[in-house]
Amino acid sequence: MEHIELFFKSIFIDNMVFATFLGMCSYLAVSKKVTTAVGLGAAVIFVLAITVPLNWLLDQYILQPGALSWLGEEYASYDLSFLSFIMFIATIATMVQLVEIIVEKFSPSLYNSLGIFLPLIAVNCAILGGSLFMQSREIATLGLATTYGVGSGIGWFLAILAIAAIREKIRYSNVPPALRGLGITFIITGLMAIGFMSFGGMLTGGDEEEKTEKTAQIETVKDNSTTKEIANNTKVID
Amino acid sequence: MGKDSKLILDPLADNNPITIQVLGICSALAITAELEASIVMSISVLFVLAVGNVVISLMRNIIPSKIRIIVQLIVVATLVIIVDLVLKAFAYELSKTLSVFVGLIITNCIIMGRFEAFALGNSPWRSFLDGIGNSLGYAVILIIVGFFRELLGSGTLLGIPVLGNPIPGELSGLYAYGYENNGFMLLSPMALIVVGIIIWVQRTKNKALIED
Amino acid sequence: MEKRTDKNSYTILFAIGMVFVVGALLAYLASALKPRITENQRLEKQQNILYAMGVNNNEGTSAVFVSTEEAPELFDQYIKQQLVIENGEVKQDTTAYLIDVKKQQANAKAGKVRRLPLFVGEKDGKTFYIAPIRGKGLWDAIWGYVALDENMIVQGAYFDHKGETPGLGANIKQRFFMDDFIGEHLLNDKGAFKGIVVAKGNADPKNVNKTDNEVDAIAGATITGDGVTAMIRKDLKLYLPYFQNLKNKQ
Repeated sequence: MEHIELFFKSIFIDNMVFATFLGMCSYLAVSKKVTTAVGLGAAVIFVLAITVPLNWLLDQYILQPGALSWLGEEYASYDLSFLSFIMFIATIATMVQLVEIIVEKFSPSLYNSLGIFLPLIAVNCAILGGSLFMQSREIATLGLATTYGVGSGIGWFLAILAIAAIREKIRYSNVPPALRGLGITFIITGLMAIGFMSFGGMLTGGDEEEKTEKTAQIETVKDNSTTKEIANNTKVID
Repeated sequence: MGKDSKLILDPLADNNPITIQVLGICSALAITAELEASIVMSISVLFVLAVGNVVISLMRNIIPSKIRIIVQLIVVATLVIIVDLVLKAFAYELSKTLSVFVGLIITNCIIMGRFEAFALGNSPWRSFLDGIGNSLGYAVILIIVGFFRELLGSGTLLGIPVLGNPIPGELSGLYAYGYENNGFMLLSPMALIVVGIIIWVQRTKNKALIED
Repeated sequence: MEKRTDKNSYTILFAIGMVFVVGALLAYLASALKPRITENQRLEKQQNILYAMGVNNNEGTSAVFVSTEEAPELFDQYIKQQLVIENGEVKQDTTAYLIDVKKQQANAKAGKVRRLPLFVGEKDGKTFYIAPIRGKGLWDAIWGYVALDENMIVQGAYFDHKGETPGLGANIKQRFFMDDFIGEHLLNDKGAFKGIVVAKGNADPKNVNKTDNEVDAIAGATITGDGVTAMIRKDLKLYLPYFQNLKNKQ
């Protein structure tokens, strides 16, 4: 259930392009044709699906304050979180080069059409954004991190696919010359983003609230059992 | 000298990083709801891009081409983290204002784009000028968008009310005549549309920029 | 002809060299500057707590802390007690303000004991109970300090964020938003915990009605607002038994 929730949330509500405006540059630059858009979108899904869980492991076992405690008690006080940016970027850049080599080997035609854009995935802020969101939203397990990576990737894929399809059709329309190309794409994306904002309403689903209520109750019950002790201790305050 | 001044002037209009090169869009959309944030971001990018361009240009002959992207990313990330750490230690207040921008700068493709397109093949001085020029071009768009979004969205500029007092009962200025702020301007999709309109205006004035 | 920089061996050597240089540089800087940074953060916590209970240098509509030089002295002067509630047990602890709320929340999740800090301040004959809260906004963490009276009525609030959108979510640390909380009730009329909802389309935009458990949201910052609602509800609820006790005692 948690997985399904996170999956759809990351596709629609927290859509990388329309909600957080990440990965805009390649989104605008590579969306002229549906086929290239599909190629780049697939590459983004793939890279996100690998890097988010990988960076989750890095974060949990190396970077977080106290994460090194598996090495022994004396390492528990180390805090390497200042390295997270660099570590995340290094993972991403390595993975991107790997994808580049694989695509070049198995699908030269795709490689040719993606051309210079494959290296650009490394700087696609959606990828680093995925890892940073994973860290800041404190995603709890490796499985959820993978779900989040795949979901965000699919969200990005969906966005670039939609805009590429619209741009192919819009060639037959009579757009003012100065607005052709980039200008109209910006405006269409803006309108699409307004549309996607309506998904935000789904976010306030009752599920999460119920859960927190329950845990809060448990905590209060726990607290109640010891209220006597509090009463004894509050003397200090009066 | 003519060549050098071109490096600064070109990106301001005809080769603008946002409206022509399509670089650095994400941040242009995210932070332009307020003019002040636009200005702070512009200054930060100016600093990082100018220094980063020089560093990459100095290293251009020793960077292995196969891993150049990793090297570039690490250079910019290191630069930003160093600045962030130093500010946190010696100018804590300032660092709190800027901390929001740290992530945005590292992932800002304008920086990578200029490293790749210019600094890797040019001398440090020229790269420095290119960095200044491009970040000024970036700043121009950010400030225009920030100006309109803040003015129309909250009726203020740099936090100072310029259209009068919107509080019901104490109406003054434009609000007294029934004007209302357009809260929609504060939402990010409107940034896209404002940039779209800027592109429209720019290309109407300079026909050479029109795409097919 | 192959360039020297295209060779595999060179690439690997370069990569290793760079990792060492960058790693060493950052590690050195981070450890050299750490004492100063921790000190800055310590002072900031004191400033935040003081701000929530109304000890600040506010000017006009902008929120201004007491200066870092004055903070330790004022902190000692106004904060009479620092308490830690652990498993319902209240203890005194003069380092309570250094407790990392994030870590404690993680402890609670892992089934371990969560230590709840609470600061008791006194100003102009009035007693303030200040509790830290922490949650998630749109981009990253948000946190704050809320000063309450014995009836869990908000006497002051301070919010901060790591990376909310400037001009939108970032405005939670603006006075117009924080001051809206002053006077709001956390309990409903029956004395049960209700929290404070950051509500869109609030029927009471000037925030005259203090018992509706609602404050007006910031336009364009829905998710950050929901984050504030959630952190108030989740974290302040934990202090309810303490306040109930306080009441029973009187």
